[in-house]
Amino acid sequence: MNAKSIAFIVLLATRMATAAQTLETTYRTNGATVQATFESVRAVLQDCSAVIQRGRTEIAYGTVMSADGFILTKASEIGDGNGITVTVGEKVYPDPELVSTDPTWDVTLLKIPASDLKPVSLALDQPDPARGTWVIANGATTRIHRRVQIGIIAATAREIPHEGGPVLGVAFEEKSKKLVVTQVAEKSGAATAGVEKDDVLLRADGEEIASAEVLGDIIGKHHVGDQVTLTVERAGKTMEMKIELKGRVDVFGDNPDEMSRNDMMSGRFSERRSGFPRVIQHDIIADRQRIGGPVLDLDGRCLGMNIARANRAETFAIPASDLKSLADRLISQAK
Amino acid sequence: MTDYSSGLLLGAFTGLLLLFSTQAEAARPYIDDKKAPENRHDLEVIQKHLMDTLPAARKATVCIDLGDGSGSGVVVSPEGLILTAAHVTGGVGKEFTVIFEDGKKVKAESMGVISTTDCAMARITEHGTWPYVEIDRDDSSKLGDWVYSLGHSGGFDKERGVNVRLGRLVQVKDSTVQSDCSLIGGDSGGPLFDLNGKLIGIHSRVGQRTQENMHVPVREFLKNWDALQKSEFVGDGPFAKRPEKGKGFLGIGTEPRAEGGLSVHKVGRESPAEKAGLKAGDVLLKMDGVDLKTKEQFQDLLKEKAPDDRVALELLREGKTETLTLRLGER
Repeated sequence: MNAKSIAFIVLLATRMATAAQTLETTYRTNGATVQATFESVRAVLQDCSAVIQRGRTEIAYGTVMSADGFILTKASEIGDGNGITVTVGEKVYPDPELVSTDPTWDVTLLKIPASDLKPVSLALDQPDPARGTWVIANGATTRIHRRVQIGIIAATAREIPHEGGPVLGVAFEEKSKKLVVTQVAEKSGAATAGVEKDDVLLRADGEEIASAEVLGDIIGKHHVGDQVTLTVERAGKTMEMKIELKGRVDVFGDNPDEMSRNDMMSGRFSERRSGFPRVIQHDIIADRQRIGGPVLDLDGRCLGMNIARANRAETFAIPASDLKSLADRLISQAK
Repeated sequence: MTDYSSGLLLGAFTGLLLLFSTQAEAARPYIDDKKAPENRHDLEVIQKHLMDTLPAARKATVCIDLGDGSGSGVVVSPEGLILTAAHVTGGVGKEFTVIFEDGKKVKAESMGVISTTDCAMARITEHGTWPYVEIDRDDSSKLGDWVYSLGHSGGFDKERGVNVRLGRLVQVKDSTVQSDCSLIGGDSGGPLFDLNGKLIGIHSRVGQRTQENMHVPVREFLKNWDALQKSEFVGDGPFAKRPEKGKGFLGIGTEPRAEGGLSVHKVGRESPAEKAGLKAGDVLLKMDGVDLKTKEQFQDLLKEKAPDDRVALELLREGKTETLTLRLGER
């Protein structure tokens, strides 16, 4: 999404009295009658998806990965997990255990006390699903009844780079040709590495940093996730630190003043919607609080797990093969 | 807008469109005549139609790169005629780059616009034979038909490719059809297809609700085909602003010359004149075939021009006459 795009003219009040034929809601693509044709897949979804609520509010969905209660969900939507409940099938499990989180994929592994869940059947024996393949995911739900939303695979599977490019996450001022740190962003790699206010930045990757421009050039050559070696002077002593570069939006958040017109017409999109190693994309408009559940095909096999509503027209899912290795890794670490 | 009775309009269109009914008809998929799919087979039929026709549709769908923004469009002839939206091209005779899904970039320029209904035509100006799609000239689509929309949502992205969305026609009006294929900025001007892969509409605008996605039906283009091909500006908005006469900008200072014509003594930096290669010392003899005599007369001629209008200047340079054609800027 590099180029600025021509935004549509958004209609405001256009209830014009022209002769129009209108399709009843039930026959629309996600109308009840059309959705009813997907009943066999809905039944699978009923078992292998989890509804995650805080109080009475849905905050995310989950994907059941094992019979003994391991469930994956979207980390940034559930936060510290306080006060959440997980519903699988018709059964409610209060206070699930937050086993671990993978920041790369923005996925959290939950554990509920169960022994006979029906996990997803991952579609691992086939290439990425082609454009036009029917997909089924969680729609609005009730406590006991999962509903479907339907759509198709919309684009080529690919990496979604971090929005905004790499940042060190420090603010500084130039004092007599020296860069002195004035602030360290809480969620930045610099904070994790221990950079402090009043540190003087001397070198990055061994190169002298005489100005903000030079530092910017060095950072700009890197990708999000890379490490930069920073040489810092603190209280007369020189030290070296390895600092992970994070994405600008991940560190500083979306600037509401800079919200694009596309974002403004996109409703509730995911706060974390970039920086995924690989996704498949579909056209189901899953609201932000319905992300984390499985994406199924017509056979009820799992093609992936919804990980972000990017905007009004694009939803991302972790592909089945990546989901498998991610789940295997997190679950084996837990045992 | 006038509230015509639908019966009357239907009659008028049928008459008009018969003129274009020259192509062999692909059978209408049975699924479009069902209220809703009823079983697995029905769903697979929709998917098969979509997947069978998608490759050709993708090849002909282009990103229209305007430099400071982008939209989409679709090639409808092997010579490179493109249909898109008026609010994408913004007017007649504008130059831009067209990008195919495989990343191939070619030069193009806009032709006519219908500013009242958001139609625009453009053409690829480079020589070649281009992948294209067929237009549904029979105007055969109906309420409830299964359709799919393509576009370069949010701008060109080679890794992602063309973005496809499936939906149904949920509302049909005289100059607008609505689908539940969700669209976003960058899709503007992109194509809407029926299950036979025929072009039935061009993406125009959206409502706040995700089900409100409006397309201009191809009949609006067919009805105005001649005007579009002749690069006419039809209507007075709201989708494109008619260029205003008198706002055309050339960017030179001139003095009358005893022997006739006007000599150029100043050329503005970055002006259309400078970009076209006009130099101080050149002598302007004619504009669009009219002999130039006085500064006032030259200014009067220019006042009749609007931004982006083409002007042919016959000039004398180092004893030789040459003709320079340039496009005016905006004052």
